[in-house]
Amino acid sequence: MALHRNCEGMKRRDCLSLGLGALLGGGFVDALRLRSVASEGKPAAVTRKTSCILFWLDGGPSHFETFDPKPDAPSEIRGEFQPIETKVPGMFFSENMRRLSAISDKFSIVRSVRHDQNNHGAGNHYMTTGAPTRIPVSCGAFVSFHPSMGSVVSHERGAPHGLPPYFSLPDMSRSGGPNFLGARHAPFVVGDDPNSESFRVRDVTIPNGLDDGRAVSRRDLRNTMDSMLRFQDRAAGDPVLGADQNYQQAVSLITSEEAKKAFEIQQEPKEIREAYGRSTLGQQALLARRLVEAGVPFVTLNNGGWDHHSNIFPAFKGQGQKLEAVVATLIEDLAQRGMLDTTLVLVMGEFGRTPQISKLPGSNTPGRDHWSNAISVLVAGCGTPGGQVVGATDRYGYTAVENIYGPENLVSTVYRKLGIDPDTILYNTTGRPTHLVSDSRPIVELMG
Amino acid sequence: MNLRTQRGTTTASRLRFGLFCSVVLVGVLLPDSSQANEPVAGEEKPAALVTFENDVQPLLTRFGCNSGPCHGKSRGQNGFALSLLGFDSDFDHDSLVQSARGRRISTAAPEMSALLQKATGKVPHGGGVRFSVDSPHYKLLRDWIAAGAPRTPADAPKLLRVVVEPSTRSLAPKESTPLKVYAEYSDGNRRDVTDASAFQSNDRTIAAISGEGLLEAGPVPGEAAIMVRYMGHIAVCAVTIPLVGTVPDEAYAALPRNNEIDEFVWKKLKLLGMLPSAPASESTFHRRVFLRIIGRLPSPEETRAYLADTSPDKRAQLVDRLLERPEYGDFWANKWADLLRPNPFRVGMKATWNLDAWLRGAFRDNMPYDEFVRELVTASGGTYRNGATVIFRDRPDTVEIGSSVSQLFLGVRLECAKCHHHPFEVWSQDDFYGFASFFSRVGHVGGLSPPISGAEEIIFTKRTGQLLHGRTGVPVLPKTLTGASLTLGPDEDPREILAAWMTDDANPYFAKVMANRVWADLMGVGIVEPVDDMRATNPASNEPLVNFLAQEFKKEHYDIKKLVRKIVLSHVFMLSSIPKERNVTDIKNFSRYYRQRMRAEVALDAVNDVLGTEEKFAAMPPGSRATQLWTHRASSLFLDTFGRPDPNQDPPCERMSDFTTPQVLHLMNSPQLNAKLSSDDARPAKLAASTEPNEKLIEEVFLLIYCRLPTADEMNRALPLVAAGDRRKGLEDLFWALLNTPEFLFVD
Repeated sequence: MALHRNCEGMKRRDCLSLGLGALLGGGFVDALRLRSVASEGKPAAVTRKTSCILFWLDGGPSHFETFDPKPDAPSEIRGEFQPIETKVPGMFFSENMRRLSAISDKFSIVRSVRHDQNNHGAGNHYMTTGAPTRIPVSCGAFVSFHPSMGSVVSHERGAPHGLPPYFSLPDMSRSGGPNFLGARHAPFVVGDDPNSESFRVRDVTIPNGLDDGRAVSRRDLRNTMDSMLRFQDRAAGDPVLGADQNYQQAVSLITSEEAKKAFEIQQEPKEIREAYGRSTLGQQALLARRLVEAGVPFVTLNNGGWDHHSNIFPAFKGQGQKLEAVVATLIEDLAQRGMLDTTLVLVMGEFGRTPQISKLPGSNTPGRDHWSNAISVLVAGCGTPGGQVVGATDRYGYTAVENIYGPENLVSTVYRKLGIDPDTILYNTTGRPTHLVSDSRPIVELMG
Repeated sequence: MNLRTQRGTTTASRLRFGLFCSVVLVGVLLPDSSQANEPVAGEEKPAALVTFENDVQPLLTRFGCNSGPCHGKSRGQNGFALSLLGFDSDFDHDSLVQSARGRRISTAAPEMSALLQKATGKVPHGGGVRFSVDSPHYKLLRDWIAAGAPRTPADAPKLLRVVVEPSTRSLAPKESTPLKVYAEYSDGNRRDVTDASAFQSNDRTIAAISGEGLLEAGPVPGEAAIMVRYMGHIAVCAVTIPLVGTVPDEAYAALPRNNEIDEFVWKKLKLLGMLPSAPASESTFHRRVFLRIIGRLPSPEETRAYLADTSPDKRAQLVDRLLERPEYGDFWANKWADLLRPNPFRVGMKATWNLDAWLRGAFRDNMPYDEFVRELVTASGGTYRNGATVIFRDRPDTVEIGSSVSQLFLGVRLECAKCHHHPFEVWSQDDFYGFASFFSRVGHVGGLSPPISGAEEIIFTKRTGQLLHGRTGVPVLPKTLTGASLTLGPDEDPREILAAWMTDDANPYFAKVMANRVWADLMGVGIVEPVDDMRATNPASNEPLVNFLAQEFKKEHYDIKKLVRKIVLSHVFMLSSIPKERNVTDIKNFSRYYRQRMRAEVALDAVNDVLGTEEKFAAMPPGSRATQLWTHRASSLFLDTFGRPDPNQDPPCERMSDFTTPQVLHLMNSPQLNAKLSSDDARPAKLAASTEPNEKLIEEVFLLIYCRLPTADEMNRALPLVAAGDRRKGLEDLFWALLNTPEFLFVD
C-alpha cells in the first residue's frame, strides 16, 4: 500500500482537499481533519472489521523495566537492568523485553502518556474508560463512572454468531464495566483456565454429564411447556418478547459452529499452543486470538500483580519475561495470519513507576511506587506504524516531556481504530448527553 | 471535580484555541481583508432595539447552538463556547463579542460575522445550516450586530413568566395544531415569543413538536408533555390523544371499586377512552402478591390452601399475613440497600454491615418513613454504633451528599444545577449550593482512609463551616428548595432544620416521592418515571392518584405497610397483564398489570426454593437467602449475571433490570445450577423417590415453579416424562424446562 491507511480507511490526502493543509501543517492538520470528519457525522464505514486485544496489567507496570530504560540515570533510578538494542536502530528496551525487541518493527511504543491519578482505583478508571473519576477514589477502589472501552465497543459494534462482543478473561478489570450502557454490555467473563485440559466456556457449553441429545430434548420440552401468552402488538411493550429474543440468541450461540470453534482451544495445533506457552496467560492470549477470528471486537486479558513496590527486579525477570513472550507470540501469530492489520494489540496498566527506587518499610527488597507522570504503552496492529517510539520522558524518566498525551487521546485512538467516532454522544440513564471521550483527538502518530 | 478549576482552565484554553481559529478563518474565508474593515454603506437602522438577553440568547437556545452536544458543552465546539442553554449571559456575550478578537461578530460588516456565516452555512459549520439568510432570525441577528451587539439594559422590564397556549390539548390521532408561546414582563407587556422558543416533546411517537411550535399527534393514542423553553423559563403543554371511538359512561360506572385508587385510575382511563384488562386469576394474584410483598414464591401448600379458601375477604387476610412475615423486612430493606448501600472499599466492611443492619431493623420494625429519613439525614455518632451515619462516611463531600439527599427523598435532581442551570427545571446553581449547604457543617473525625478502613469514624455537627458557590466562590447560606436563605447560629444543627422541612406535611415532594416509589415497587411502573425525578416537565401519568397516595401516606403517619396494603387491595393491582382491545397501547396508566422480570436476589432465592436447595454465601450464616445479603461483594455468579447494583459503580444505586443473553445461558447451562438440579438432595430426586402418583408429582412441579395447577393439556404432555423409564431424569428435565421459561422468571 502506497499510502498509510488507518483502520477507518482515511488517507492523509483527504485533509488536503479541505485546503487547510498548507496553512497549518503538522499534527494540527490531523486534529482538524478529524474534527471536520466528526462534524459531518459518523466516520466512513469500516470496510474491514477490526478488533482489539487489551493486555491490562493491573497494578501499573514500570516504564523503566519495560520500554523506557534510562541507562544514563544514576543507579538509584536506573535499576539493575541494561538497555538492549532492538530490531529498529536507535530503539532501546529494557533487557527483559527480549522477544519484543526482536520484532520491534511491528509495533509502536508510546512513552508519553500521562495523567494525574496516582492510585489504582482512579488510574484504572482513567486508562480504561478515558475519563477521570468524577470524585476522588482510593487505591483499593473498583469504580465506574463511565463506560469502559470494551463496553462501548460492545454497544457500538456488536458481534456475529450470537457471540458476546466483549470478553474479559479471567475476570472483569476494575473499571471494565458498562456503566449506563446497561448489563448487556458488561463483559462476558470466562473465568475458567484455558490452559486446563477440561477447559470449557462457562454457560455456553452443555454441562458435564449431559449429552447433546438430552440438551436438545430439554429445549424441546421447554418450548412445549412455555404457554405464557405474548402480546405481539409492539405498542404493548411486552418484556417477554425481549426475553424470547434473548433465548433465541442464547440457543444460536450454543448451537453456533463458529462460536463453538472459537471456544475449542483444544483444536489448536500443539505447536501453536506450545508457542503461546502452556500457561494461563499464554492460553488466554491464544483464546483471545480465536475469539477475534470469530468476530469478537474486544477482548480484555486482565492480568494482575504489576504493583511492584518491592521485589521489582526479580519480578521483571520472571513475570515480565513471561508476559513479553506471550505478547510477542501473539503479535507474530497475528502478523503471520494476516490479522495484525485488523487487530489492535494494547499492553498497558494504570500508570508507570517512580524513578527513585525505594524500599517499603519492613521490606528488604527494592521496588518502585505509583507514578502517573510517565506511562509507556505498547500499541500494535490496525494500521499502527511499526518501529516507532512516540514521545519521550525526560532523561531520568520523571515525566513525559515530548508529544504528551492523556488517556483521552489513547482511548480516542482505540475508538478510531475500531471505527467508532470518539465524538459520539451517548445518553445516560437520566437522559444527560455524555461524550464518549472529552478530548477526542487521537494520538496522531499511531494513526498511520 | 472542582468546578472552579474546570471552568478556569477551559476558559483559558478556549481563548487560546479560539484565537487560533480566528486566524485561520480570516485567512481562508476573508482573503480580501480590506473588505471586512470597510463600513457598509446604506445600512438601515433597526426599528426597535434588539438586545442580547431579550432577543439573541433565546435564538441561541432555540437553534440548539448552546445545547450540550454543541457549543454548550464546557469546552465548547471548535473553540466557540457558550453557557449551557444560556444560563450565563455575561459569559455568552463575552464569547460572542470579545473572544476570538471579535471575529464572531463584525459590527462594521454584520453579514461577514462568523456567527451569521456559520449559522447560514456560508462557511462549513459542523452544526449544519441553522437558518437561512432570508429568515427573520437572520435579520434579527444582523440588526443586533449592526447596532453594536448591545446587551439588554439592566433596568429593562424583567421577564416574569412564559405561558404556552393552549396548556392542555386533546387531539385526534394525526391531528395537528400550532402552539403559541408568550413572555410576560414586569411592565405588563406580553410578547409572542413562539418564534424564539425551544420545544421538546417527552414522547415524540405520541406527539411531535416542530421547531416552529406545530404540535402533531402521532398515530398511537396516549399522552405527551411538550416542554417549552424561553430564557430559562419553562412552560408545559399536556397533550392527550384518546382512543378512537366512544365508550359508554356505564362501562366505567360498572367497573369495580375496591378503594379510592380504582376511582382515580378509571377516571384517567375514561379520559383516554381506555378500558382495563380483566381481573387476574386467583393463582396469578397469589403469586404476584407474594413476590411483590415478601419477594418469594408461595409454596405449593400455600397455593393449594389459598385456592381452596372460600372466605370473601381472603385476599385481605393474605395481605395482612404477608405483611407480618419476616421476609417482608429483608425484602424491602434489600430494595433500600440498593439506594443507600455504600461501597465497602470506601467505608469498610464493618460500616457497610452496620448500615445494612440499620436498614433491616427499620423495615422489620416498620419504622415510620419520616422518622426513617430524619434519622438518616441527621445521623450523628460512630459508624460502628449508628449504621445511619455511614451515608456520611460514604459521601463525605458536601455537594455529593446534598444532591443524593435531594434526589432520594425529594425526587429533585439538583445534580445538573451544580454546574449549570437545570436544563429541564427551574433549579439554579444557587438552589443547588443552598441545599447542599445544609451539610456544610457535617464533621468527620477518625476512620482511616479506605481501604484500610478498620477504624471507626465519628460523624457530628460542627459549630462552623461553610460551602462555597462553585462558580462565584462566595459562601452560600443554607436554603430549602421553597424558602429563603437561613442564617443559623452555632448551636443550631442545619441538618435538623433540613429534616424538619423535608418531613413537614406541607413539603410538596417528600410523601409523594415515597408513595410513588412504593407504587412502582408493587406495580412494576411508577406513576412518575423515573421514580426519583419529580418535575413539571416530567409529569405524572396520573397526578391526582399520586397526590392521593401521598395524602394517605401522611394521614397514616408515614406507615409504609399501610400504604402497601392500600395499593395491593385495589382492584387495579389485581388486574391481569393481558391487554384487551381498548388498552393494548397502555404502558403507564395501569389499565393492566405490567410484567417485570424478578430481580436478581428474588430469582436466585426462587430457584433454590423450587429445587429445595440452599445457596452458600461468604460471610453469611448457612441457610441465608440472597435477599439477606448485606454486601454486593459476596460473590455470586448468578447475582452478577442477573444484575445487582455494581458496588464498583458510583453511585451504585442503578440496578440493571435488562434481560440479557448471559442470563438465559446461565439458567440453561450453569454447572452450579445443573449440579443442584441433579443433586440427590434436591427436589427432583426426592419427588422421584416418592410414592405419590405421577399426576400429583406433575402438579407439584407446576405449583412450585408457576404457582398454579397444570392445565389438562400440560398434564398430558408432562405425564410421559415421568411415566416411562427414568422417572428422576424425566423430573429433572421437567424442572429444567419450566425454570427456563418466562412464566417462571417474570412477575406476571
